[in-house]
Amino acid sequence: MNTQEYIESGILEEYALGVLDEAQRADVERLAAQYPEIRQELDLIQHGLDSYAQAHTQEPPAGMRERVLAGWQAAIHQGATTSATELPIAPVAETVVRPISSAPQEEIAPSGFNWMMAASVALLVLSAAANLILYNRWKESETQLVALQADQTRVASTMQAVEKRLSTRTQELAVLRSEQFKAVELAGTPAAPQAKARVLYNTATKAVYVDVRNLPTLPQGKQYQLWAMDKGKPVDAGMLAAATTAGDSLQLMKNVANAEAFAMTVEPEGGSENPTMETMTVIGRF
Amino acid sequence: MTLFYDKYSSALYGVILRIVKKEEIAEDVLQESLVKIWHSFQSYDASKGRLFTWVLNVSRNLAIDKIRSRQYRVGSRTQPIEESAALRQAATPTFRPEHIGLQEMTTKLAPEQKQIIDLLYFGGFTQSEVAEELNLPLGTVKTRARAAIKVLAKLIR
Repeated sequence: MNTQEYIESGILEEYALGVLDEAQRADVERLAAQYPEIRQELDLIQHGLDSYAQAHTQEPPAGMRERVLAGWQAAIHQGATTSATELPIAPVAETVVRPISSAPQEEIAPSGFNWMMAASVALLVLSAAANLILYNRWKESETQLVALQADQTRVASTMQAVEKRLSTRTQELAVLRSEQFKAVELAGTPAAPQAKARVLYNTATKAVYVDVRNLPTLPQGKQYQLWAMDKGKPVDAGMLAAATTAGDSLQLMKNVANAEAFAMTVEPEGGSENPTMETMTVIGRF
Repeated sequence: MTLFYDKYSSALYGVILRIVKKEEIAEDVLQESLVKIWHSFQSYDASKGRLFTWVLNVSRNLAIDKIRSRQYRVGSRTQPIEESAALRQAATPTFRPEHIGLQEMTTKLAPEQKQIIDLLYFGGFTQSEVAEELNLPLGTVKTRARAAIKVLAKLIR
């Protein structure tokens, strides 16, 4: 065989370009293996094309190295687990460049891009569903929160009222137990023999408390008024509140500088300057 | 594989980008190439040629499959190769002795030779498709292709 002629024929260039069909390619490889000068020429041609390709060398963008290597690693691991028995891919030399007519119009095998697309859509749907669920839960929680807040406010105000009553009672108890207070029993006058009350008088602080045991109910527009008798003169010691009159609790009255007796009269609402003696209900002295 | 990547990625990426013309697709193809090289490494036959040639052809074939698989050509076919994104970026200077600058190579190639080489090598065209595309007889295409490759081979001789 005339190798020089074969080399001149240009088939080696076509081989290097990958435009030969499979039979022709096998032929070239066989001859190259057989004749060193063909091999040498083919190497030279391939080297020339390689250099041409290499002349297009382009530094990949930053970050691509990591992505590509990670993707490669993922792909070979996946391949190792799912198809360990997969046949090795056909030698590259046999990879045929298909003519356009036989090239598939649509991609059959899903590319990485399509997978990413599908994954994105799936993630979007999942995310939307999760959002809906979370939105509903959030709404529910909000309703519950409002209810609980109302409840809490109610409990707090109740608590406050209880607290206030407790402090009142504690104060009353302190007054009752205090040794500084002198108790004056007020007995009913002939006008109201059943009436009974008590005055607690602190001679040091001049504080006066009234503790009603039993007082006749008053007509509309009337109120009990407490008087302190100081050297025979009545001194106004304040009006009794309705709750005090009913015997509900102790009531702090006006301070009284000095007193030898206390009495209560029925006066028009708001009180009078001087007591109406005829309506005196209870009286008591130290 | 990391070493392999560092050694070859720039050259492979350049070629792939030249073929597919879109950076994100070039990245996909480069990754697919690495996987394929990894899996079919045992089929590499050192007696048939250099490793670089083989690796380059794996990547090139994948890239060409890619552009054929998409409706890709419709748009890119009419786009002059010289205006593609790949060429607007300057090739990074490297210090490989075998690396001959693109500029030098293209000045040695006649424009019509370069055009044919680019269509065949980077465009994934068959010779008859090139003939059709350029409205030339098939024989002329073959002659020019061989002449162009002879020029390239001479450059490194």
